[in-house]
Amino acid sequence: MENQINKSFMIGYGNVNQVKIGYKLPLVFFGGPCAIESREHAFKMADEIGSICKRVDIPWVFKSCYDKDCRSSPTSFHGLGVDHGLKILSDIRNEFGAPVVSDFSDPSWAPATGEVCDLVQVPAYLCRQTSILRAAAETKRPIHLKKGQFMSPWNMKNSVRKLEAFGCDKVILTDRGTFFGYNMLVNDPRCLPIMAETGYPVCYDATHSVQLPTSMGNISGGERNFIPYLVRSATASGIQALFMEVHDNPSEALSDANTVLDIQYLENILYQAKAIHEKRLEILEKLGEDNVHPEK
Amino acid sequence: MSTPKNNRILVRDVMMTPDQFPIIKKTILFKEALEEMGNYGLGTVCIVDNNNKLCGILTDGDIRRKLLKVQKPFSAFFVDDASLHSITEPICCKASDLLYNAVTIMGEKNVWDLPVVNKDQKLLGLLHLHPAIKILLER
Repeated sequence: MENQINKSFMIGYGNVNQVKIGYKLPLVFFGGPCAIESREHAFKMADEIGSICKRVDIPWVFKSCYDKDCRSSPTSFHGLGVDHGLKILSDIRNEFGAPVVSDFSDPSWAPATGEVCDLVQVPAYLCRQTSILRAAAETKRPIHLKKGQFMSPWNMKNSVRKLEAFGCDKVILTDRGTFFGYNMLVNDPRCLPIMAETGYPVCYDATHSVQLPTSMGNISGGERNFIPYLVRSATASGIQALFMEVHDNPSEALSDANTVLDIQYLENILYQAKAIHEKRLEILEKLGEDNVHPEK
Repeated sequence: MSTPKNNRILVRDVMMTPDQFPIIKKTILFKEALEEMGNYGLGTVCIVDNNNKLCGILTDGDIRRKLLKVQKPFSAFFVDDASLHSITEPICCKASDLLYNAVTIMGEKNVWDLPVVNKDQKLLGLLHLHPAIKILLER
């Protein structure tokens, strides 16, 4: 349950605006374009998202990936690559003072990713791969561990145990939906308190959760109209961070075009998420924990 | 049963040593605890912290009662920490206790096993009812 979260930690090294994540702390936002499409685009998005987060007053970690290794089609945009992509992320850190997060799909990319990124992400499809988890832990950065769509929330404990065995004690577990038959995800809010039983903060990925995996033949579809509903639901359930991929022109996005959130809606949704989170904390403070015992 | 002879038998004369019964750490999964109990053929597993201090025990009876109460799927139950379902303040005895007194307590409390601990609650052994009764009957 959420009150079993007993680990809080900082995201950010060096001269960035460090973000603290943990139970009963301000909601954190992980957001940015799915893929680094170009230096110009990444900077534009960081600038606009950063301004919105400032207005909403929500702690922010810039998210974007340099290599999209799980695309359905060999002709889909794969990314700018490790060196080029990480250089852009490093420059965004310096320019905007925001911590950055990116994933890696090959253990050999982990050291460079950890060198630059404040938070290292383990992709959902690879969330139980021992070599990936070992490489992630060895970066010594906090790890953003996404729940595979094929995984039960309770079995994520095994991946957490692997990370811990490799020396990692800073993990964020994220729900991004669960396979429901073919080409369909279902969102089960029970995932959040169940993963919180590991003691680590939990996050909800609202944009990948509306994905319809590979529903469009060789690309994934998505029902982005449900994003605000799922954000409100997850925030009210209890999360420590909210993850959303954001784009200024979704129909032209080079990755996850059917699920990324149009930036025009970001401020409204973040404002709601923050307000709901703060109201929950206020109620918890006033009335105490509301955990119902499973057996009594 | 209380004769001068068996009144001289101490728990330490009969208790199982740590290599003879299942002992697990606090973070061991429930499913792993069950396997460990099966490996030793015992209905009790002792749970210790990193300093070998006894934190709890899990018995066949506890598991039976849990099965009737826990509503979550088996796959989720299996990955719970075993300590979550354990008795955290089990009845214990000392190695220097008279066996007769320890067995009397087992009878009163209706338990088959008593962890044997020292004054710092560190686990030294396990007193199992069968060998305890056997030796009391023999002497």
